[in-house]
Amino acid sequence: MSSSPYDDDSKTLKYSRSRSPAVVVFSVFKSKVLYFVVLFLIGIAFIGAQMLAFTSSAYTPDFSKLSNVQFFDLAHYDGSANGWQYEERVLFCVPLRDAAAHLPMFFGHMKNLTYPHNLIDLAFLVSDSSDDTMGALKKHLKEIQNDPDTTKRFGEIEIFEKDFGQVIGQGFSDRHGFAAQGPRRKLMARARNWLWTVAIKPYHSHVYWRDADVETVPPTILEDLMHHDKDVIVPNVWRPLPDWLGNQQPYDLNSWQESDGGLQLADTLDEDACIVEGYVEYQTWRPHLAYLRDPYGDPEVEMELDGIGGVSILTKAKVFRTGGHFPAFSFEKHAETEAFGKLSKRMGYSVIGLPHYVIWHIYEPSSDDLKHMEWMALEEIRQKEEAKIKKVYDKVWNKAFEDVQEHWNLEKSKFLKNTDMSNLRHIQVDWSGVDDWNLDDKQQNKKLADFNP
Amino acid sequence: MVYIKNPYIRYIRRKPWAVIAPVSVIVVLYFFLFSSSSSLSSSSGSKNSAQSSPKYNYNTKSRRWFAKNRDSIILKNLPSDHISHYDLNKLTTSPDALAKKEEVLILTPMSRFLPQYWANLQKLSYDHSLISLGFILPRNNDGDVALKQLEEAIKDASTNNQLKYKKITILRQDSNSLDSQLEKDRHALKVQKERRSMMALARNSLVFTTISPTTSWILWLDADIVETPETLIQDLVAHNKPVISANVYQRYYNEEEKKNAIRAYDFNNWVESEEGLKIAASLPEDEIVVEGYAEMATYRPLMALFYDANGDQHTEMALDGVGGGAVMVKADVHRDGAMFPSFPFYHLIETEGFAKMAKRLGYEVFGLPNYLVYHYNE
Repeated sequence: MSSSPYDDDSKTLKYSRSRSPAVVVFSVFKSKVLYFVVLFLIGIAFIGAQMLAFTSSAYTPDFSKLSNVQFFDLAHYDGSANGWQYEERVLFCVPLRDAAAHLPMFFGHMKNLTYPHNLIDLAFLVSDSSDDTMGALKKHLKEIQNDPDTTKRFGEIEIFEKDFGQVIGQGFSDRHGFAAQGPRRKLMARARNWLWTVAIKPYHSHVYWRDADVETVPPTILEDLMHHDKDVIVPNVWRPLPDWLGNQQPYDLNSWQESDGGLQLADTLDEDACIVEGYVEYQTWRPHLAYLRDPYGDPEVEMELDGIGGVSILTKAKVFRTGGHFPAFSFEKHAETEAFGKLSKRMGYSVIGLPHYVIWHIYEPSSDDLKHMEWMALEEIRQKEEAKIKKVYDKVWNKAFEDVQEHWNLEKSKFLKNTDMSNLRHIQVDWSGVDDWNLDDKQQNKKLADFNP
Repeated sequence: MVYIKNPYIRYIRRKPWAVIAPVSVIVVLYFFLFSSSSSLSSSSGSKNSAQSSPKYNYNTKSRRWFAKNRDSIILKNLPSDHISHYDLNKLTTSPDALAKKEEVLILTPMSRFLPQYWANLQKLSYDHSLISLGFILPRNNDGDVALKQLEEAIKDASTNNQLKYKKITILRQDSNSLDSQLEKDRHALKVQKERRSMMALARNSLVFTTISPTTSWILWLDADIVETPETLIQDLVAHNKPVISANVYQRYYNEEEKKNAIRAYDFNNWVESEEGLKIAASLPEDEIVVEGYAEMATYRPLMALFYDANGDQHTEMALDGVGGGAVMVKADVHRDGAMFPSFPFYHLIETEGFAKMAKRLGYEVFGLPNYLVYHYNE
């Protein structure tokens, strides 16, 4: 039994005793039991360290007996990559204006959201609406909150009403004309700020902004954006188009990366000017998120952005809590969502876009498109009418100029079939003078109208 | 066979289970504790997975296994269908706020609790049922101490039936705060920027999570303000200005004259000067101009120095920068997005940057040079 481990160990001990105290300690653990105990203790210490890492040592007061006193540790609501597993609450903000027509589609998407509905708090701002947005909204909300499937029901729902006095119409061309952009964007920024400032609570971990007029969006949109674990993140926004316009088009040009051209342009403008993207008046040469889309690209690809669009934004709630907002003034020559991107960057937050992950905005025709479509509709009616007339015309024409020669020959052969044609006599008729019967002798010298068939 | 000198490796080679077994026990234990605790949501998730396997795992996890989240219960007193409706068009801000029952939110970033502050707050004569309070405390030892004292003060007031406020919200800041708040360190020019940036984050976190759809006015009252007129809210509101700041002074014992006296304390209430703009223009974008340092002589007219003991209390002066001592702000200003920049905004930061942002949003900023509130004297 010379190969007993004890012998071996005692041999090596002789080498190592002088070298390291750890080895000396090791010699104590000849017993397996002791060895196990030590490893187990190490394991407990490891788990304990994990526990400590997740436990805040900060003091927590107990106000459970006072109903009007609340305490929140904001560190519990910083937001993580898979917040749905940690029961992190999302504030879902939707600004609405004359949106009654879009609400059925919007609530269709809401019902399908896969993020646990009880963790989603909805906040709506209804402003300056001439249609019954409020009535439609309440109808839809009541319906969803009384769904027999309780997992479909949402958390807290707050509807706010505030009119800002709309100076600009809501038609596509009213909204998207160049001159209207600055004041319009500043007004929309105010509306957005009024919404989130009253809606956000200490216990929100994420804030999601969504326009009501999004046509196609994955039900996992919140998880898809959240798992990137960025402070501010936006998807790519396109819109479908009719065939005659080429099927599809980038919609949201407000998501871009700053360029030297953009910075130079900003320097030339006065303090209150507001650069808006996608207009020939302001050539910035910025790389746009929308144009970088590859339909077959990896949807996980990220891209750093400076300005962002507002169709669908997911942010950590701390971005808003610590002062990120939609500047309703010209901030670094931008306003609203684009300036929000710039402001967030300035505050040290990450602003990210997903070039190959696309959601689809509805198609609203511009006034030129509308004109063209009207012309197309009229043209279609005209062509139909023309075809109808042509049909009648052709019928009359065919009737009048029908060639009956063949039919006549057939007929002739039929009734002449029993007639002996051999002694057929050729009769010569003298037709001369037949047409003269009506002619007046007195008008002989008058010239007939020129007739030249 | 190769002879390996290291006794550990030799031991492990001979008895691999001696290592594998405990390690696997630890791994199993770890996953048992820190991964899924399948609950209701997983069963509802599996329903969908019948057709296509879900992209994400919906099993709930807990981040704090041994220390439960002891924050106040979220979502209580909700209407049965969870829907509430607020018409913000009906919200008013008027000079006779008390008569119109307008709600006031008093906000205080608190790194130390002064009993005098609390006593002064309790003495305010505005209807307490229209007042909500908001506190934010730093995430450090100072915060712990102040929080305990605040908790005690609130509970004391409650047992004495003197706690009539509509609502009190106490927040613990998420970001780490600078530890040292000693007077000397607090004012060193080098740490000014960082300190005030942290302060701005705290102020923003406080205002935006506590402002409610019914709030008309917001009073920023520093935790160091230990003496104000009882009618502070009514007096400031009466001016009906978007932003109005009281003049912050300090009581002290004048050694030379051997008597109690007052002196100016807060120099952040100022009017912009040519010199100030020139300095700002010469600075790089991420530098700030601060008041009260010899290194940076701005020659700005400071409201603190415009105090006239015999003057009319209601004298107003237009300002470009405000301090945070005692400032009344119409809630609309904050709702429009005016916040305390945590970064140099026109070379200004925190409350001074706030004044600039309010002006950029088209609001006017005023100060009351002859209306004094008093800062604690250390």
